[in-house]
Amino acid sequence: MTSAVEFQAVSRHFGATKAVDAVDLTIAEGAFFAMLGPSGSGKTTCLRLISGFEKPTSGQIRIFGEDVSAVPPHLRHVNTVFQDYALFPHMNVRDNVAYGLMVKGMARTPRYAKAEDMLALVHLDGYGDRKPAQLSGGQRQRVALARALVNEPRVLLLDEPLGALDLKLREAMQDELKSLQKRLGITFVFVTHDQSEALSMADSLAVFNNGRIAQIGTPTDIYAHPKTRFVADFVGSSNVLPPALTQSLGGPTKWSSLRPEALHPAPFGPITGTVTALRYLGAGHRVTVTTQGQDIAAHLPSGTATPQVGSQMTLTFDPAALHVMDEA
Amino acid sequence: MTAPAIIPPRGLADRLTTLFWRHPRLLLSLLIAPPLLWLGVVYLGSLAALLLQSFYSIDEFSGLIVHEFTLKTYGELLRPSNADVILRTLGMAIAVTIASAFIAFPIAYFAARYAKGRWKAAFYLGIMLPLWSSYLVKVYAWKLILAKEGILTWATEATHTSWLLNAALSLPGVGGNSLSTSYIGTFLTFTYVWLPFMILPMQASLERVPNSMLEAAADLGATARQTFRTVVLPLAMPGIVAGSIFTFSLTLGDYIIPQIIGTSASFIGMAVYQLQGTAGNIPLAAAFAVVPIVIMLIYLSLAKRAGAFDAL
Amino acid sequence: MRSEASLGLKIAAIAGLLFLHLPILLIFLYAFTTEERSFTFPPPGLTTEWFAVAWNRPDIWPPLYLSLQVAALSTVLALILGTLVAAAMAGTRFFGRDQVSLLIILPIALPGVITGISMRSAFSIMDIPFSTLTIVLGHATFCIVIVYNNAVARFRRLSGGILEASADLGANSFQTFRFVLLPNLGSALLAGGMLAFALSFDEVIVTTFTAGQQSTLPIWMLEELVRPRQRPVTNVVAMVVFIATFIPILIAYYLTRGGSETAGGGK
Repeated sequence: MTSAVEFQAVSRHFGATKAVDAVDLTIAEGAFFAMLGPSGSGKTTCLRLISGFEKPTSGQIRIFGEDVSAVPPHLRHVNTVFQDYALFPHMNVRDNVAYGLMVKGMARTPRYAKAEDMLALVHLDGYGDRKPAQLSGGQRQRVALARALVNEPRVLLLDEPLGALDLKLREAMQDELKSLQKRLGITFVFVTHDQSEALSMADSLAVFNNGRIAQIGTPTDIYAHPKTRFVADFVGSSNVLPPALTQSLGGPTKWSSLRPEALHPAPFGPITGTVTALRYLGAGHRVTVTTQGQDIAAHLPSGTATPQVGSQMTLTFDPAALHVMDEA
Repeated sequence: MTAPAIIPPRGLADRLTTLFWRHPRLLLSLLIAPPLLWLGVVYLGSLAALLLQSFYSIDEFSGLIVHEFTLKTYGELLRPSNADVILRTLGMAIAVTIASAFIAFPIAYFAARYAKGRWKAAFYLGIMLPLWSSYLVKVYAWKLILAKEGILTWATEATHTSWLLNAALSLPGVGGNSLSTSYIGTFLTFTYVWLPFMILPMQASLERVPNSMLEAAADLGATARQTFRTVVLPLAMPGIVAGSIFTFSLTLGDYIIPQIIGTSASFIGMAVYQLQGTAGNIPLAAAFAVVPIVIMLIYLSLAKRAGAFDAL
Repeated sequence: MRSEASLGLKIAAIAGLLFLHLPILLIFLYAFTTEERSFTFPPPGLTTEWFAVAWNRPDIWPPLYLSLQVAALSTVLALILGTLVAAAMAGTRFFGRDQVSLLIILPIALPGVITGISMRSAFSIMDIPFSTLTIVLGHATFCIVIVYNNAVARFRRLSGGILEASADLGANSFQTFRFVLLPNLGSALLAGGMLAFALSFDEVIVTTFTAGQQSTLPIWMLEELVRPRQRPVTNVVAMVVFIATFIPILIAYYLTRGGSETAGGGK
């Protein structure tokens, strides 16, 4: 099976800035692929390299096996849901959705019929006559989705599509995007800086840092086995322990990570320190214990007794939970 | 059956789009070439022609233009009668600019800070309409106002303040027989006609001063006067400088207002017009015209340093 | 401190606005005066007869037609050139960008008399006879910046997003221009065109240098101002000219109202 998108040593430099630096990447057909990273890490530039709004400084990009170095955006069968949606303000919703079909020369009746179908798919039946300005943020986002999907793209690119929505709506849209992707079987490439979003939606993800891919794999793999300190820290607020501390906890002299959920209060244990902070999270507490000058966060499920700030506390963990990283 | 990942080009438009995408500079060059050619050839070419003429001179006996490079014509500018014209124009431009700044500030400040909704629109239109309405009609209106038998004389008589008008007219140097034949009249008309050019950039730069900044100043214990002097005025400065570019430049080059309203004394614009027309001394006219260019180039470079171009 | 302006500021602002508008109202009054030879105020009587007299004056009509013709041609040229340069300047940064923007504003930043005499010198050097074309050449040059100012502000607001969206959905550059760019740019261009028309229709300083023997309406008015023949007719023409420039300005304002780029910011 050919891969949907393939990067071979792709770089995109802006002057001295290496936005994307020698990236190798393969996205399987039908995947829900997330590109995760802080702002400026190169994930959005990678997305724009796929859509064709950026051209690689060096390296090769293939879409379904075809080299696209000479293909402009409008001839790539790839569509994008833009971060700010970029709906056409002078057209109503129906014309927005039908735009891609119109420029390809489809007659009015069939293209409006397809646009209405697509609006029904995103639960916006009956909104065709409205202007984008009359819609809420969530509705605009659905229009942007419908406008891209109506073209039946081989790859759908989503640039932080949920960033502007409030929490409740974001969670609902996450489920909806996921089921839509399953149903349509289109390859989704999704850019986000929100690690929980990436973990919950993607079936495969790449973590970006400084223009390079720090780690690529499935969400469980990346969460449980981060390869570098950066990944451990960025994906799900892990405790990152320096080599000396790792060794004192029974590991090798290497950096390691330890999830807060893996730590439990106990009468005896390898970690004893002063409680320096306590935060209520709804479903339990997060406690920060300082030992040997190092802050270690532990998750206390609700029902567990909460310690006083300033008191001493001892923590224990299953040695298997201590994840030692390759990075020196 | 799946669609191909790459759509083949369907015609010339697609091929051209591909070409533009692969060579963005090509599209840029195609866009900018016609206007650049126009401005480069028609405008800069003309300025070059003017500069060239200013280095020629006129033969005093035959009255013909001598097509030889000389600085003699520029030397003539230093003759007392010509230097007077330049100094008079400069003095007028400075006076008009300062007066405009003073009259414009309250309008701009009120429009930027206090006018809201409908009032804001009213203020904007109230400034823009006089800006764009016919220049000649505005000058003509002032001819009507300043005429000896006109509304101003009538108004001073009606309010028993004729002595004030007469005192102004009897001032040495700037007074005259009536307002429409005095420097005061010329000054008033210039100020009126160029005032909107001062208000708009001033208002624009004042609008960019966030309210929170004024509140911060007040919060830190500044009095209204201190806030104004240390916060508002420095931030409004680029706008004032931008506005002054217009009032200064427009006054320097105008030849119609002093011709219609004022004494018979000449200004740079009038000198240029008369020298190239009736006198036929194109080299001297050209040299005269270079004076405002040089003044404006110096002014613009100073203004650029003051950040005025962001307020244009 | 936003809530209320001080009394002094209010008075100064309102007095300033009155100073801007009262003189224009006076023109309207004088168009109806019965006094023929002087500018006596208050007018001894009111009449509408001067409108008929002006209408029947044969020397007014050719300048009016010429002015309309010149303004229309200059506006079309300025629209094309101004939009092109705005499109080039809005999207990209390139070497010499600052120099180009300086070149565009120069024709209005330098006094009109300089543009005028420069062009006259160039015409005489190149032996170009004065004609309607030479007037248009001058007018289009200073109208470019008007269109440019209006268009570039709108281009900036479009900010690439919807243009990229159009390409992403499969439109080529020409389709993007026609279906997305033009509809969004339209009102800004119309406003710029209106203002350019008003400016050209009213221009007198450059025109005196580039017109030769022809006269536009402002030149006709200037002659009447310098050597008055029938003052009440000049009053009537002044009022008509004022109204004729007033209308396109109002239209331009309403076309661009509400945006940060409201028309007329830079004349």
